[in-house]
Amino acid sequence: MTLKEYVKDRTVFLLTNFILFIIVGGIMLLVGINSQTVLLIFCIWFCPLILYMWIEYFKQKVFYDELTSITENLDQKYLLPEVMKEPETVEGKALYEVLRQANKDMHEHVKSYRDRENEYREYIETWIHEIKTPIASTRLIIENNQNDVTRNIQEEIKKIEEYIEQVLYYSRSNNVSKDYLIKEVPLVDLVRKVIKRNSRDFISKGISVNLEKVEGTVFSDAKWLEFILNQLIGNAIKYIRERNGKVIIHTVRNEHNIVLTIQDNGIGITEKDIHRVFEKGFTGENGRQFGKSTGIGLYLCKKLADQLGLGLTITSKAGEGTKVSIIFPLTNVNFMQ
Amino acid sequence: MSKILIIEDTETIREELKTFLNTYGFDTKAPTNFEHIIQETLNEAPDLILLDINLPIFDGYYICREIRKQSDVPIIVVTSRDNEMDELMSMNLGADDFVTKPYNTQILLARIETILRRVQGSSMRDTLVYNDLKLNLSNGSVTYQGEKAELTKNEIKILSCLYKNKGKIVSRDDLMDFMWNADVFVDDNNLSVNVTRLRKKLEALGMEKNIETRRGLGYILP
Repeated sequence: MTLKEYVKDRTVFLLTNFILFIIVGGIMLLVGINSQTVLLIFCIWFCPLILYMWIEYFKQKVFYDELTSITENLDQKYLLPEVMKEPETVEGKALYEVLRQANKDMHEHVKSYRDRENEYREYIETWIHEIKTPIASTRLIIENNQNDVTRNIQEEIKKIEEYIEQVLYYSRSNNVSKDYLIKEVPLVDLVRKVIKRNSRDFISKGISVNLEKVEGTVFSDAKWLEFILNQLIGNAIKYIRERNGKVIIHTVRNEHNIVLTIQDNGIGITEKDIHRVFEKGFTGENGRQFGKSTGIGLYLCKKLADQLGLGLTITSKAGEGTKVSIIFPLTNVNFMQ
Repeated sequence: MSKILIIEDTETIREELKTFLNTYGFDTKAPTNFEHIIQETLNEAPDLILLDINLPIFDGYYICREIRKQSDVPIIVVTSRDNEMDELMSMNLGADDFVTKPYNTQILLARIETILRRVQGSSMRDTLVYNDLKLNLSNGSVTYQGEKAELTKNEIKILSCLYKNKGKIVSRDDLMDFMWNADVFVDDNNLSVNVTRLRKKLEALGMEKNIETRRGLGYILP
């Protein structure tokens, strides 16, 4: 609050006083009272008035400045009514009360949404565990009756499983910390596991895989990492359109981090799309041309990577291939042995 | 023949798992009444137990703990709950392994075999025999009518896959998938080269009729 604003706020009050004084002063001059007396009356009228306003200005300035600085420093700004000093003025008190009421109401509102969200999340997770049983049965039935038909069904079942997994991780992605278990993860084991999960797709599309230069150990949550890596490798397979496909996975150890890179020689991503691939629901040119793109995979990867404290970068050249890197920072938690 | 006890309340899975394990040469038992499950398990004295966690009456954790009190039989926990805590809990209660549903059947089979091999000593399951051709998995050699040859890792994998499907055609894709699942990420050309070499080695042993190629279908050990 500046002096100018304060004065501007009280323009009517000051103007009224001035007009009143001019009227009174005019009448006094007309009835022949000398101008010195009028000037004296002006001083008696306005000196205390200005002084009073001056003091009030400073009081208010201190109060509002404090309020502003508290608000600026608060992480959760809605906590203001809990933190601020209760004002002493009548208007201040009224406003404070209203603020508290509004805040309380907001809390209740937010809580009801939070409860609803948790309930939904729990339902989704239960549902996912339930759906896994019929899928497991289906897989066994296929295994016991192997022919071309069941083999095709198996391919479809695998897709269903991938989608289900995506739902599970999506519903968990907002509070990663709830089921988060940091363990030592040897990268080569993790990469092999994911390659094996996708072995059928690699083989049927004739894609060769090279992971000779994968080494190092990181500390992270193995499950979440596996999910991220599976999405990335799944993408690499999906966007290889010709024979002689290659997926090269390697790690580089730098001073402050380990970088795990997945490189393919697929169709690549155009320059205008590359900056938006981590956006939710973004499918871009490739999505339009080839369909089957939901725009959720990479978005989810980025979100999970952020929550795990990992970096995720992507570079690509249309027609030549795509390179995705997961960056594991080497801090106290994430060091390599 | 090893006896596997399946403790699982979903009927389809129970029955299909039985069929599946039977085809791979295991004797299976699958109780349907869970009221006296612990006593029944101990009476059966199986070589290995596949245990679900979500069960009526007692949950899998309880059963696991109770069995452990009286027996050292290997237990593999099979469940659709897939968080790390469940895995930790199972291990703490004495389970030997933890597999999440829906599992890859070949992986389940591999885990069963690994555990059985460890428990029953290596000798029992390390030698595969078919038509006078002996494959020794522990030292990676084949013997045919007294003649012996050393095999590479890839050749052992190819031969053991063909052994598992004795007399049946194995498609190239299936063979490759088998190898990939054993951490050998060969490509198409590599596979051809490896099969040719393996065939030559077997011929050198004097085995005239060995691996045959069926055009467009795959390989077979007749």
